[in-house]
Amino acid sequence: MPQSMAAFALLTPVVIFFGLSVIYPLFETIRISFWQIRGLGKPTFIGIANYQRLFTDPTFLGTLWTTLIFTIGVTVISVAIGWFLAMLCSFAPKQTSIFRLMIFATFGISEAVAGYIWIGIFRPGESGLLNGVLIALGLGDWSQAWLGSAHSALMALIVAASWSSVGLPLLLSFAAVQTIPRTVLEAAQMDGAKPLAVVWYIMMPLSTAGARVAIFINLLSALRAFDIIFVLTNGGPARATETVGFFMYRESMTQFNLGYGAAATIVLLVAVLVVAIPAIAQRTKGAH
Amino acid sequence: MVYRAPKWIVFVVGIIALIWVVPIIGIVATSFQTPDSIARGWWHFSQNQFTLNAWRKVWTDYPLANSLWVSTKVTLIATVLTMVTAPAAAYAFHYLKFPLRRTTLIIIINAFVLPQQVVIIPLFRLWREMGMLDNIWAVIIPYVGLSYAWSVFLVKSFLEDFPKDLIEAARIDGCGPISTFTRVVLPNLLSPIFACGILQFLWCWNSLLLPMLFLRNDVTLTVLLARISGTYDPNVDQQAVAAIVTAIVPLLVFLIFQRQFAVGNRVSSGGKE
Repeated sequence: MPQSMAAFALLTPVVIFFGLSVIYPLFETIRISFWQIRGLGKPTFIGIANYQRLFTDPTFLGTLWTTLIFTIGVTVISVAIGWFLAMLCSFAPKQTSIFRLMIFATFGISEAVAGYIWIGIFRPGESGLLNGVLIALGLGDWSQAWLGSAHSALMALIVAASWSSVGLPLLLSFAAVQTIPRTVLEAAQMDGAKPLAVVWYIMMPLSTAGARVAIFINLLSALRAFDIIFVLTNGGPARATETVGFFMYRESMTQFNLGYGAAATIVLLVAVLVVAIPAIAQRTKGAH
Repeated sequence: MVYRAPKWIVFVVGIIALIWVVPIIGIVATSFQTPDSIARGWWHFSQNQFTLNAWRKVWTDYPLANSLWVSTKVTLIATVLTMVTAPAAAYAFHYLKFPLRRTTLIIIINAFVLPQQVVIIPLFRLWREMGMLDNIWAVIIPYVGLSYAWSVFLVKSFLEDFPKDLIEAARIDGCGPISTFTRVVLPNLLSPIFACGILQFLWCWNSLLLPMLFLRNDVTLTVLLARISGTYDPNVDQQAVAAIVTAIVPLLVFLIFQRQFAVGNRVSSGGKE
């Protein structure tokens, strides 16, 4: 059998599944974004009007801002905690293995469950854990309905999403720290370096490769987030926690403005592509 | 490592790890307490009353068993399909010559950037026209199609280190491209295939957006949980049970197979960065 026949046989299922769920939707979303489609009504071609409307729509512009805060907040917090923990754990890999597993386990928990879990923590009144802790500390005046006000709801969302995103930075950074040659650390110990100095001057600069991968992955997933927002805040209160990825869902699937939702999706796609350019270049170069 | 760890390091890491699992302890405790106790705060262990009520009632009050079955079915089918088709494609891309080979490969492995949001409007309209809404294939197809970006990439990365001599020997012994794949390459690909399977299992089981939009009556566990937690449903104890049932399967898979993770991780990021 000639090679191209064999290749055809081996690739057919992949081409069908991939074509149907990636290629077709990609081009179709781009096409729809130039049309006005309301639910089952008759579509009208309107050129770039959807995009013009997006960038004059105060709600959408607010959404862009929310996306930026959410994405950067979650990435910075989760990678900072994961990386720092990874370096601390590297001083005592054996004794901390169970602790690493406890934190890494959140990687296996879905965003939907994570969102649900954190509803319980931010619940108003004294049955919410956060309020309970504040009351126990004598700071009862600070207790509030955390998901009820625009500002605290976004903070709450960032905390919850960070909680569920620490696992990967911890794993990748820990692996990177493990590759640092023993002699370097021995030399530092001989010179009397304190643990935090070793962290700052040796482990951190020599483990940036692992952290870079983690930053990239968490950046991409925060940018595209939907599930945890849907369960924890449903975009509220008053659309204060809607990111672009949530806005497109709301417009297309609850308001049935399919064309407008598709245009928002393309804006999200462009944002993702900008972040991913280095990774795309690297994968393309490595493909042979 | 050479360093004798100062005690405070282990202590600090332990405290942080404890903080990390408190939210999980919270839903477990909630699921075993009476509504009055939950309203007081689940952490008042000494005053609160414990009961198995929620665990008994949830199966009749909510379609939890049905959702467990739907999640299992959808996830297993999508996982097996990925485990079977991705290695075949990776092999073809790595060893065979055919037109548009490199272009197709570049498109597939770069699709990892695609947000799920791009898929939903066109597929929603397509499934609606075809009467496929509420059919499990409406979610299985995109689950499998979206997995190739990383699954093909992961298996192909593994093939980079595969000994060329073996392929050559098979060819000299008269193996065609397909039998070289099934008899020589496939038996040696078990560890990346397994890694793909675990990642795909976790991803499919934990997905919310696609099944939420494409399934209506028979929904997955994540969709059920999102529905009952969003409706000001007073049964917090039963919601907690649903959340535990949703989380326990991927968590067990994850804990049992975490060593396989290291394999997948090393292959997909290690040598590449």
